[in-house]
Amino acid sequence: MFKKRFLTMGLATGLVLSALAGCAEKESGNSDVDSDSGKEVELRVWLTPQWKGVLDGSEEGADYDSFFKHAAERFEKEYKDHNVNVNVEVVAGDQRDELLNVNLNGGTPPDVFFESVFAMGDYAHRGALVPINDIVDDAAKNDIAQNYWDNVTFGDDVYFYPFSQNPGTFAYNAEMFEAAGLEKYIGGEEEIKTWTLAEYEEILKALKENLPKEKYSNAYPMGLFALNNQGDTWNLAYLRMFGNQFFDKDGQLVINDENGAKAASWMKKIYDAGYTNPGAESVSSNDVNAMFQNQQLAISFTNAILFNNAKADMESGKAPKFDIRLANIPSESGDPLSFTYVTGAAVFDTKDETRIQVSKDFVKFMSTDPELVKASKNGVPVRNSVVEEFSAENPFFAAYAANAPYVFNFTGNVPGYSQLRQVLYPELQALYTGAKTAEETVEGYQTKGNQVIEEAKANSVIYK
Amino acid sequence: MKIIKESNKENLTGYLFVAPQILLFLIFLVYPIIEGIRLSLFQINYQDEVFVGLDNYRKLFSDPVFIQSTINTVIFVVFIVALTVVFAMFVSAAVFDKNAKYVSFIRGAYYIPVMVSMVVMSMIWSFLLNPANGLIPFVARELEVVSVNFLGDTRLVLPVIIFVTFATNVGQAIILYIASMIGVPKELFEAAEVDGASRMKVIFKIIIPMVKPTTLYIIIMNIIAVLKIFVVIQLLTGGGPNNASTTLMYYLYNNAFKYNQLGIASAVGVIMFLITLVLSIPQLRAMFKKD
Repeated sequence: MFKKRFLTMGLATGLVLSALAGCAEKESGNSDVDSDSGKEVELRVWLTPQWKGVLDGSEEGADYDSFFKHAAERFEKEYKDHNVNVNVEVVAGDQRDELLNVNLNGGTPPDVFFESVFAMGDYAHRGALVPINDIVDDAAKNDIAQNYWDNVTFGDDVYFYPFSQNPGTFAYNAEMFEAAGLEKYIGGEEEIKTWTLAEYEEILKALKENLPKEKYSNAYPMGLFALNNQGDTWNLAYLRMFGNQFFDKDGQLVINDENGAKAASWMKKIYDAGYTNPGAESVSSNDVNAMFQNQQLAISFTNAILFNNAKADMESGKAPKFDIRLANIPSESGDPLSFTYVTGAAVFDTKDETRIQVSKDFVKFMSTDPELVKASKNGVPVRNSVVEEFSAENPFFAAYAANAPYVFNFTGNVPGYSQLRQVLYPELQALYTGAKTAEETVEGYQTKGNQVIEEAKANSVIYK
Repeated sequence: MKIIKESNKENLTGYLFVAPQILLFLIFLVYPIIEGIRLSLFQINYQDEVFVGLDNYRKLFSDPVFIQSTINTVIFVVFIVALTVVFAMFVSAAVFDKNAKYVSFIRGAYYIPVMVSMVVMSMIWSFLLNPANGLIPFVARELEVVSVNFLGDTRLVLPVIIFVTFATNVGQAIILYIASMIGVPKELFEAAEVDGASRMKVIFKIIIPMVKPTTLYIIIMNIIAVLKIFVVIQLLTGGGPNNASTTLMYYLYNNAFKYNQLGIASAVGVIMFLITLVLSIPQLRAMFKKD
């Protein structure tokens, strides 16, 4: 009897211990990886979709991760200090913050993230990124203009290694313009056409009225979207159309004035007039981009990388081929409204010195290697040396340079910019559905936006 | 003394046997709940946590979006649960006593959407309803019927989501009702037939009272499921237009993962937990009564 009970108790104790041992083993398994980091280093490199291919979208099997896989392969071979294994992962732009927040809170951030700086600045403010001043040398400083360094500097430190820039403009379907009798407004193939606001309204009207229905059924003049924060920089540009400065010198929103309200009212006006796709409040920038590629929109938003991708899709037969050209976002003053995204890689604070060091070395490698930096031609290179090398084959580099004096800083370098983006689109939805007037829209955005900026400022490690 | 020692030993054996289960229960269920309540009292940044007391709750109740989310959630719960129960009851009462093959077909037909992922269903509905390039608005335009933005109109967006969720989930309730109705003793129906009771009388006087436990179960489970409604909102409307279709779960998700306000998100979680707990009490009571 005693033996039997002893056996049962032993069995039960064994069960409990095995459960505990399972947990304990997992714990020690983790620390083994850490202590082994001197020999084997595993890096996670994340990026949002940028350009396809290593150097060019026309390469066979070109995809968004081709460049980084190629850079990783070379880095693994050429890096001497450690045995490195780099895993590259492409994450959707609209899932970026969710994925990063989950991983940051779970203590598993990626090592390197390649993205537009504006979308990632908050992570520097939150103390999730490490400064990379130590990998920036004089050669890079001389080759990359100071304004790009300013863009990636938060407080006193550099957090992103500038790789390329990606100016935002309009793209338009020249064939649809012709079909609507708008030949005189079509710019050159290698030109970024500038229209006045009055001309632009005339174009929208003509497209609405004269576009042949049999050839372009279910087509609209211009793409407009406010489902989420994707592509919101164009919406921000429209809000500056009548001269509003957006931020004051203290980094507070000042959109709630006559010019801001006029701009919001203009957006509502073209929407109500049927100059845009219907249902802007529940249409995303992705939908609009797809509609433009399917010739359901004559004018849409684009940036240098999207423009090249669209042309590559047409060449490869993935999308219908048409004459795609560029134009500036017009303004009441007649000056174009121009902005650019600086893209670059940042290193996350993984609390593991070895991984951080190897990540920095990887970022330096991919951002300085003479062969790899040529890939920046898919956007607009930030390096003068690359611009010079490719300006003959890409005449747009000169056109983008001509826009430089009109570039506005759309983030205002304010903390909490990611959350600020979440405030704008519900206001625009209210505007388009008629729940708010233009005045109420800009007032709502300014009040909620400034609250976000204040709170983020109080929590920023840069401002401390 | 010896007897007490013996019984303690026996108890210990028992406790050791249930210990693994208790341990898992504590780690994966109790600890997250306690941690959620604790987090709801803190303001959390990437680098530190600051105790703020009930500030997160105060912020919540002064946020119109939270209030709107709560109202929307209540509307969803009331309408989706009511529709599900009434429709499932109607279909089941109509078919449960028919040919077995026919019953199987009906069951299968309604159950297929339940098996298909909610993500896939939402994407299909999005393809149908997208105002710019969706199929339904396109057909409406072609037929020159007045085009309506089902996802962008504040008056239509809630009914549309209610319908989509109801259509996707009703199969589960139909399966349960049919099983329950088949289990109702045949003598009752025979007696009703002898008495010359009409079909309506049979339904109201026999079927509905006999399947009451199933109705209670369906109501409680659906309330809990609808309280957590998320995927449809995320994929169809993104909470829009202007937060008109946002729900508590979507509000929680936005705060936790988009705005990185873990404290606020935890406070919403605690409130949802309390609501679910209160709503589950009748079911728990019914269960204990049986025992």
